[in-house]
This record gives sequence, C-alpha cells and structure tokens, in this order.
Amino acid sequence: MTQAPVLKVENLQTRFKSVQRGKYVHAVDDVSIELYPGEIVGLVGESGCGKSTLGRTIVGLEKATSGRVLLDGVDLTTLSGAALRDSRRALQYVFQDPYSSLNDRQTVGEALDEALVIAGTRSPEERDRRTKELLDQVGLASVVRERHTRELSGGQRQRVAIARSLAVNPRVLICDEPVSALDLSIRAQVMNLFLRLQKDLGVACLFIAHDLALVRQAASRVYVMYLGKLVEHGPSQELYDRPSHPYSQMLLASAPEVDPRIEKNRRGPLMIGEVPSPTNPPSGCRFRTRCPLAVDDCAKALPPAHVLSPGHTAACTFAADLHRGKRSALLQQEVSAA
Amino acid sequence: MHDQPLLDVSNLTVNLLTAKSAVRPVDGVSYSVRQGECLAIVGESGSGKTVMNFAPLGLMPTGVTTMLSGSVKLEGRELIGLPEAEIQKLRGKSVGFIFQDPMSALNPVRRIGRQIAEMAELHLNMTSKAAEARALELVKLVGISDPAARLRQYPHELSGGLRQRIVIAIALAGEPKLLIADEPTTALDVTVQAQILRLLKDVQRRLNMAMVLITHDMGVVAGAADNIVVMYAARAAECGPVDKVLVSPRHPYTRGLINAIPRREDPIGLEFRGLPGIPPTLGAPIKGCALAPRCELAVPACGNSRPPLVRSDDSAVLVACPVVNQGKAAA
Repeated sequence: MTQAPVLKVENLQTRFKSVQRGKYVHAVDDVSIELYPGEIVGLVGESGCGKSTLGRTIVGLEKATSGRVLLDGVDLTTLSGAALRDSRRALQYVFQDPYSSLNDRQTVGEALDEALVIAGTRSPEERDRRTKELLDQVGLASVVRERHTRELSGGQRQRVAIARSLAVNPRVLICDEPVSALDLSIRAQVMNLFLRLQKDLGVACLFIAHDLALVRQAASRVYVMYLGKLVEHGPSQELYDRPSHPYSQMLLASAPEVDPRIEKNRRGPLMIGEVPSPTNPPSGCRFRTRCPLAVDDCAKALPPAHVLSPGHTAACTFAADLHRGKRSALLQQEVSAA
Repeated sequence: MHDQPLLDVSNLTVNLLTAKSAVRPVDGVSYSVRQGECLAIVGESGSGKTVMNFAPLGLMPTGVTTMLSGSVKLEGRELIGLPEAEIQKLRGKSVGFIFQDPMSALNPVRRIGRQIAEMAELHLNMTSKAAEARALELVKLVGISDPAARLRQYPHELSGGLRQRIVIAIALAGEPKLLIADEPTTALDVTVQAQILRLLKDVQRRLNMAMVLITHDMGVVAGAADNIVVMYAARAAECGPVDKVLVSPRHPYTRGLINAIPRREDPIGLEFRGLPGIPPTLGAPIKGCALAPRCELAVPACGNSRPPLVRSDDSAVLVACPVVNQGKAAA
C-alpha cells in the first residue's frame, strides 16, 4: 500500500474518571491504527475491551486523553469549532441500533433532507436530487421517501441511517456493530451494501464487531483489542489462519460451529474467566491473568509487538512460536486441564 | 409412562388482541420434548418462538388479551384453560425460566443469595436457613468461584456472564423438570457464550431435565440441542433431529438461514449470502406459504394454501414445503 492512510490514529488514549475516587478507567490505552482509502478494516474484541470507545473517540463523541487522530493528515484533536466541524465531515458514524438512531416522527425524506441541510446543501433542488441519489445508493425504493422511519423494518432503518451518514460524502465510516441488531436473513443484505459502498464510492470503513466470521469475510485487515490495548493485527486471511496471540487464538476458537458433526467433536478449549476490570488492569501483559501460556515475566512489562510477516504483528512474548505453530494457547490449555 | 413426552404441544395457536389490533403470532404449531432432551426453537424476531413458549405459561404483557387454542400438556396435564393460580404454581417450580438479559431478570437491590433462596423457600417449602444452604449449593453447581462471597453481592457487582450463571441458579432452585431458556447467550460475548452453553448442557444432563432453547442463532444449536424446530412467520417450517436438519436442511428457509452463515473457506470480500426480501409483518394469518415471496423454489401453487408439515424421505424430519414434499402425503 503506497497510498497515504486516510485515517491515522496515533497512540490514542481515552480514560474516564472511575466511581472509585482518584482512579481511572483506561478504556483505550495507547492504540494506533491506520485506515487506507477504500478499505474495510475490522476491529474485534469482547465487550468492555474498548472497541466502541475507540470508535467514539475517533469521531469525537468522546474526548481523547492523549494521542492524535489524523484525518488526511489533519489532527482532529487540536481543532475546535467550525474548523473541527469542517474536517470531521469526512468522518461519519453508523450506530448499532437503527431503532434509536433515527427520529420516529420524521419521514425518510425528512431525515435525509435534515442531514443534507446540516451538510450545508442550500438549494432545495440539489437536496431533492441528492436524496434520490442516496436512497438509490443504499438500495431503497423511492416510495420509501414518504414513509415514516417507524414504519420501516430494521434492515430498512439501518439503510436509512447509512444513507444519512453518506449525505456528506464521507471518506471514512466508523460502523459500530451495524448489523448485530438485525435479523439473520437481513444481515447479509446490509453487509453487501457495505461491500458495495466500498467498491463504488471508495469509502473506507472501520468495522467494529464481535461477530468474527462476519468480519473475516468483509475486512481485508483486522485489529484485535483486549482491555484497551491492541494485541494483534494483520491481514484477515493470515490472522484467521495463523492467529499468533493467545487471546486471538482463544477468541477464534470460541466461535460456535453450525455443523453438529464438527461441533460435537470439537476439542474443548474455552476462554477461562472474564475480562478483568479496566480500572485496575493487570500489570505487564493485560491478558496474562487468563492466558494458559503466561510465565512470570509477563507480569513485569508490556510485551513488545513482534512483526511476524509484513503487516502482521502480535504483542506476545511467544508470538513468533505461536505464528510458526510451535506452541498453542489451545493445546497448552488441554495439557493443563488433563 | 417413561416414553411419554414431558412437554407435549399440539396444534397450538395463539391470538393476541390489543386495543388496536389482533395478531396471530403462533399458528398451529406442534412439538414435544422428553425428559433429558433439549429442543432448540430457532426463528427470527417476530417468528413466534418466544410467545409460543411463554403464552401457555401466562407470561404475557398486561393490556394484551391472549387467546390460546390447541393443547399444551406438561407431564400429561393440560395447561390451556388452567386457572392463573394453578399456572403460577408451575412457574419457577416445574418450569424454570432463563431470560435473555440477566441484568433485568435480577432484582438490583437484593443480594444474590436472597434471590436464589427465596425461590427454594417458595417452591420447596424450605426454611430460610435450609434455603440459604441450597443457594450455596446451586451457586457451586453453576460453576461460580468463591460462592460464599458471591451470595452476599448485588447483581451490579457481577459481570454479564456471572449474572447469567446466577439467573440459571435461580431457575434451578425450584428443581424444575423443564427449563425454558430464551436467548440465554444473546446478550453475552462469544467467549462467555461458549461457557454458558456448556454449563446449560451440563446441568441439563446432570439433573436429567427437559430443556427448550429459544434462539435466533443457528450457531448455538449444534452444541446444545438434540432436536430442532425452525419457525418462520408463526409456523413451523421444518423440524427433526439436529444431526439431520443442520447437516442436510430441506426447507428453503432452513437452507437459506444455514447458507447465510459465513464460512471459514469463503474468500475475503465475497458477497454475503442471504435471503432476499424481508419477513412478513405480524398480522392476519397468511393464506399460502409465508416464505413464498422470498423463496427461490416458489411456484404459483405455494400461494394457494398453507403447506402442511410432511414427513420427508427421512422419516424423522418434517418439512412444510409443497415443492420439497411433492408427491408425499401429509403427516
């Protein structure tokens, strides 16, 4: 990739004041990611790992404690007022729940028109033309325009929400679980819409999700987050075939299989326990309290990110071994369980 | 007696009447569960899977008039037409419930131990001391570490996975014969989901209970259930043993659902497979096959009459599709 990234997040940190006095919740801790034009990138992890906070901080819904968010080279964290509004236009957010992200009392046409007014389209004729264009882009029939958003199904609502975010011609979409509120038979339709937007409009998309199979198929690269930190990232195919951080290995292994022949013979590794509190994260490697490979040194310092192949890095002392298949968090767990 | 199903539902129809509308979320569905067996009921939202299980047990919102027809037998006893007071005695005792969201299923201002113990006091007539001991036992049974300390905690102090384990402990407190789990893992992470499913399967086997697992996720079915009913628009589309239905689905809807799940070998960037169109909105019963507008196999005859569930070439599997069933007699 010789192009410059459209979105570059550098050492971003977001922390919240904890209810416990003087303590902080380290929701996002020193995270750096890059997004290139026209690329779909996945961001996965368990709930509470900070993936949504990262997305919200990027678009400015949360304030970064430190670090930079560069959109086309302009640092959004230093801007304010009109300058911020102008720059941020290229960055849009798609929320998980299309039932709460739309105004029930508006018709689809009104909802889109409002977005266009805010985007600064003054001429009513121009807004009318764009509304038609947007409906077409998200695959909604023009008759929908007169309907109230409350009359629509979940999938149609999410299309309207996506159309609204496209009103400003964004270059980057941050999508936070955009299909998890939708029914199974509808999900594919909305996922295909994202694939098409990426191809036709060249919109880059940060796809935040917990459904690993969905992310694998849509994204060219994937970031894995655990307790506020990035633990691994790499090209989807490679990361799914050769996960090289114990957390990624166990996360991928937890996904259930539909085929009972495979599911019933599946070897039994399960993630032990649950995510520790981000108010009091473990010292050193944050995954060590649940990691079957953990050794004493893991508590001492944060493991550096090992580059395993071009674009594939994992922050684990054993990453190289795991990548070569010489060691496995899953096998280790079976040994210790036996 | 042993061969008789614990729960036997036949031709159940539920009509709901509100001030404004009348809908039929369940339309002539039959299924049964034996002791020690797990039945998965799979369907999208609005398919009737939850109403079908909750309405006969009186768990419906207020302001809705529920009209039931058909038969629901629990241990041979007919539930339809039973007075509310009798049904109330069954809830929590013979039938345990696990709900989707463990936070709203628990009382936020009472300690965990008390919430479990009150079920044992109510249903097993235990003294409060004996019930406390039972609560400790149950918390151990659902695999919670440091059980004695947990009993003194409040729900907000626990993570989602632990809360769901507590909800399971409460459901087990009355020593139920039937456990109804409504989307028990939907609100949980994939890692915790695997733990909770394993726990449910484990207690179901150990206590030899019958279990009904209501879910929209085909992925959780294979590991937990013996049999499956696939619901679409208030009706059963296909039912049979999990090993058969998930491996070689026959009904176009079941096929579409299973086919829609992304697979490891799918190339990256490939279009996602799915069903076209959207499910019908709940309303008056549909005359023909409800899937016809979205179905690739549909022929004009599909719109004529409701397709009956018919034994397929595998006698354990029943399918409601006139095209798949061509030339076969109704079961």
